[in-house]
Amino acid sequence: MLAYLIRRLFAAAVMLVVIIMVVFGIFFLVPKWAGVDIAASFVGKQADPAAVEAVREKLGLSDPVHLQAWEFFKGIFAGRTFATGGDVVHCSAPCFGYSFKSEQAVWPVLTDRFPVTLGLALGAAVLWLVFGVAAGVLSALKRGSLWDRSAMVVALAGVSLPIYFTGMLSLATFAFGLKWFDAQYVPLGQSLGGWFGGMILPWITLAFLYAAMYARITRATMMEVLGEDYIRTARAKGLRERTVIGKHAMRSTMTPILTMLGMDLGALIGGAILTESTFNLPGLGQAVLNAIRNQDLPIILGVVLITSLSVLLANLVVDVLYAVIDPRVRLT
Amino acid sequence: MTAPLHEPTAEAAPSAIEEAAAVGGNAKPVQGRSLGRIAWERLKRDRLALTGGAVILALTLIALLAPVISNLVGQDPDAYHEDMIDALFGTPKGSLGGINGDHLLGVEPVNGRDIFARILYGARISLLVGFLSALVAVVLGTVFGILAGFFGGWVDAAISRVMDGLLAFPQLLFIIALVSVMPSDMLGMTGSSVRVFVMILVIGFFGWPYIGRVVRGQTLSLREREYVEAARSLGAGRFHILFKELLPNLVAPIVVYTTMMIPTNILTEAALSFLGVGVKPPTASWGQMLSNAIDYYDSDPTYMVVPGVAIFITVLAFNLFGDGVRDALDPKGSR
Amino acid sequence: MTTQRTSGRRKQALAAAALVAGLLATAACGSSGGGKTSDAGYDAAGNKVVNAGTTKGGTLKFAGTQDGDSWDTTRSYYGFAWNFMRYYSRQLVTYKTEPGKSGAALQPDLATDMGKVSDGGKTYTFTLRDGISWEDGKPITSKDVKYGIERQWAQDVLSGGPVYLKDILDPNGEYQGPYQDESADKLGLKAVETPDDKTIVFHLPQVNSDFPQMLAMPSASPVRQDKDTKSKYGLHPFSSGPYKFESYEPGKSLELVRNTQWKDTSDPVRKAYPDTVSVKFFSNANDMDQRLIAGDYDLDLSQSGMSPQGRQTALKQHKGNLDNPLSGYVRYAVFPQNVKPFDNEHCRKAVIHGADHLSLQTARGGPVAGGDIGTNMLPPTVPGTEGREYDPFALAGADKNGNIAKAKEELIACGKPDGFGTTIAVRNNKPVEVATAQSLQASLKKIGVDAQIDQYDGSQTSGIVGSPSNVEKKGYGIIIDGWAADFPSVQGFGRPLWDSKYILESGNNNYALIKDEAIDELFDAYAKELDEGSKGRIARQINHKVMEGAYYLPFTYEKYLNWRSSRLTNVYMTDAYNGYDFISLGLKSSK
Repeated sequence: MLAYLIRRLFAAAVMLVVIIMVVFGIFFLVPKWAGVDIAASFVGKQADPAAVEAVREKLGLSDPVHLQAWEFFKGIFAGRTFATGGDVVHCSAPCFGYSFKSEQAVWPVLTDRFPVTLGLALGAAVLWLVFGVAAGVLSALKRGSLWDRSAMVVALAGVSLPIYFTGMLSLATFAFGLKWFDAQYVPLGQSLGGWFGGMILPWITLAFLYAAMYARITRATMMEVLGEDYIRTARAKGLRERTVIGKHAMRSTMTPILTMLGMDLGALIGGAILTESTFNLPGLGQAVLNAIRNQDLPIILGVVLITSLSVLLANLVVDVLYAVIDPRVRLT
Repeated sequence: MTAPLHEPTAEAAPSAIEEAAAVGGNAKPVQGRSLGRIAWERLKRDRLALTGGAVILALTLIALLAPVISNLVGQDPDAYHEDMIDALFGTPKGSLGGINGDHLLGVEPVNGRDIFARILYGARISLLVGFLSALVAVVLGTVFGILAGFFGGWVDAAISRVMDGLLAFPQLLFIIALVSVMPSDMLGMTGSSVRVFVMILVIGFFGWPYIGRVVRGQTLSLREREYVEAARSLGAGRFHILFKELLPNLVAPIVVYTTMMIPTNILTEAALSFLGVGVKPPTASWGQMLSNAIDYYDSDPTYMVVPGVAIFITVLAFNLFGDGVRDALDPKGSR
Repeated sequence: MTTQRTSGRRKQALAAAALVAGLLATAACGSSGGGKTSDAGYDAAGNKVVNAGTTKGGTLKFAGTQDGDSWDTTRSYYGFAWNFMRYYSRQLVTYKTEPGKSGAALQPDLATDMGKVSDGGKTYTFTLRDGISWEDGKPITSKDVKYGIERQWAQDVLSGGPVYLKDILDPNGEYQGPYQDESADKLGLKAVETPDDKTIVFHLPQVNSDFPQMLAMPSASPVRQDKDTKSKYGLHPFSSGPYKFESYEPGKSLELVRNTQWKDTSDPVRKAYPDTVSVKFFSNANDMDQRLIAGDYDLDLSQSGMSPQGRQTALKQHKGNLDNPLSGYVRYAVFPQNVKPFDNEHCRKAVIHGADHLSLQTARGGPVAGGDIGTNMLPPTVPGTEGREYDPFALAGADKNGNIAKAKEELIACGKPDGFGTTIAVRNNKPVEVATAQSLQASLKKIGVDAQIDQYDGSQTSGIVGSPSNVEKKGYGIIIDGWAADFPSVQGFGRPLWDSKYILESGNNNYALIKDEAIDELFDAYAKELDEGSKGRIARQINHKVMEGAYYLPFTYEKYLNWRSSRLTNVYMTDAYNGYDFISLGLKSSK
């Protein structure tokens, strides 16, 4: 078990390094190839070539890519010092550098925005797990019934609608039209009610999409499981239907659901770009979208790192959970 | 990401599909009916799937014939009709976003371009990107999946690690980033064609591991089977075994995954255009129309609803058809 | 979604008389709204004070879709940021707090007067007021003013802001900037002397009649050396004004609270009615406008007009809360002469005649939200303007839908009777820009000019359209852009655009590559001219030369539709910032 964990963690670390290299490549090599000068966008309208050169120096853009990447790595674990034109700043670990655009340190931006995204992802996950799995199980048990068919039609519609479209519709209807919700983000620390009022529409919109997917999968898996021999055996033994479903069938059904949950949560924590930009939530997704538009590499790198880390961690947790839920799975 | 780039139904389906492929391999001699035949019989009875298929056909025709149809109704997707626009607000005159005999779905705010014609042309972009990026994913996924499964060893290890890595990538993020840093002219292309080309490549590239994983698993189990052993003992070359013996038995899962991947890709294209990194104006795209329509959600709701519904119908049709295909290829299927 | 609304450079205008008045005035009194007040109503704050009042207290709530480019006084180029900076920064001279044109006149701020001019206009001497202090109570000295100005030289660390003072005081670039200054006090700039803590003397190598304008920019604000956090200064500037930074989260929110060390007796300009000034940033313009209309916020920080949706709701239901001022911008297309066939004047004229000017106006938002059709390149807010009287191409007259016959004639004269292909370059971060490009594309199709649209990253302007070699390489025959004066004169507006000395390899603004000796000489004459009447005449001559060369196709003299909440007092538009004068705003009730 321990050896397994260590191996997985090591693989995850290697993965992270690779991902950082790829991001570096995208933002340093491709613009060069396309003939775009990043430094030029950070000087004002009367910029003289000397100022552009100085900015390039300051951002470290004239160093070789591998050196820049190395400095970045070093900063995360040991901190680093930036110095240009008499401006010396020490950035202590974990140092993700400073935003090209706003000059603020990246790490506080990440820690500041992380709770928003985490709240969005977790809240929505609770909703979609409860409603999605319940709908899927009910549909599987009452196959062909009116309930089953209408639930599956709704679910199919749910996975076929773009989230920004449902988001806009719900904003237009419930926030601006009926004025039921304020739909404006308020930090949890400021007001619980305000936070709830601001998050409820994004939660429902996001959960609708995922609940639809989860319902479809739960139904398919449950039906498959119900056809297995051991369920038949359990029933033949005279176990009550509730025990058969609740204890035996549910266990197997939950395995693929968990896999998905791990991946989906991981990806969402890294930034629900479309949801956050539709609902104006100040989370990681919004930050990274703006950063991509501004070519603000340090912010992008930070968010990508957090995203990748959360996907890798979520997968690891899921794998460990397997062993707990499903006795057939061994970790080797 | 919130656009389901990986279609989770696919995540849960492998067991069923593996069975389908496995049985497909064995079913030939026993029942004397090919898998394709069985599947078709089943699909024919699935009215929802057939409806989906019919809609897809119709959409494809619409996309191919967009210039013809828009000529028939006498509308050019790029022509301005500013006489249709209220100069003060920029919204279309008349009710329902300017719907009338000439403009079947109304006109766009500000410039008065015909929405019907733009929806027709938008279908071209959606379907083109949807199909071709799926094709890229299928080709890459099949080739690398077979290679990994067949050769095993370090080849398998390397390819599997790459696939795991790609799946752990924040995909929408990377797609946005890649598309937005790409130069605006390359390989002799300019304007929208560059963007379409880049979108196809990038979306396809991030899609292949889903197919690659399944194909690899299938290949792993198939290569130990008797008929492959038999072929090998008869002295068949590696490539003969790969393409003549293995590939035909991988068709079923590949088809299933492809039909499920297309709607996801269509949604991704719409999301990119929505975020402003998709096709360039004046080329019409549904996602771009939706993004513009936000400014008029109350004053001209028609403009928002029409492209939204277009995306919905298209993706729904592909999902219905995809479900049908999966069920048809699944021996344990419900129908 | 994120509708980005970039408010660009400084936008403003000034009454022609202001400059001379400013130069000659020995004392100016603090000004209130005066007698020109009015009740709320549509466009009521255009040149009058709406809801005059002196109630103190409350929180003034701004909303914005875009954060300032920087809140460091040295580093900003956004007009709304310059307007907002008066809350926490003071200058030697600044603009009067009066509505309309008179708001663009200068008056003393930290200085006791408008400065003593000697040596034929080459030396300016200012004396500082008593009682002026920093947020920690220490007095503001002439050395702080000098240090603040010196920061303009540190472009390697503090890029982004205007550098007029640097160009004028040190044209040969001899000074290295305060961060590389060898002298102990870091005050090595020779052109500025501080004989004592109350006196500051400027020595100009050459006369420039617009010098006081440059001192009124926030980039001439004092900065205290021990509080200078260099590149991080914009995250928490040290206040010399009535408010100080309480908190700032870039892209999310900003809050200013009272600076208790600031004394109203030392400040003739700032009234400082609210207790708190807050800004909240939105990523969705519709969302923001909804909340403005609902009364959650008081006004738009960027002062760049409402979104189409908000505009419509507001015009129909709350017309009395709207004002419709000029933005100071001219929006136009420019034809780089290094891209064929735009080296030929007739091909340029063909495009000017072929364009549908009414359609372009509609694309920009129509007469109310977009502005009047522009007829020449000198906007109505710059002294010397003839406004729409001067319309050499009949853009707003007979040919407002374009004149295809004339366009075809010009095409024949250009040797391209069947038209030609070209590329329109347009920035990608504003929908209205793209809509403009599409409108131009559609109307040019009718004269056989096949134009492709190429959207470029708006943050990369200086390297893309600002690089003539790149423009040539990409074949950008038409560039869509807009321009407003950094300070209100033909020099502040047109010199970077039309003077051949301002053609640069990168960061160029003379996109058309105009090399006309007559124009260059007129600009030199302007800088030396002190007579207002003559200055106006020179401005007109420059404008005519530019229009006769057919380098530009003007679209509109831009107008915005701006929201003001009913809670606000002392609301008026100032020509100094082409928006509401932030520093005078108060609230009806302190709650």
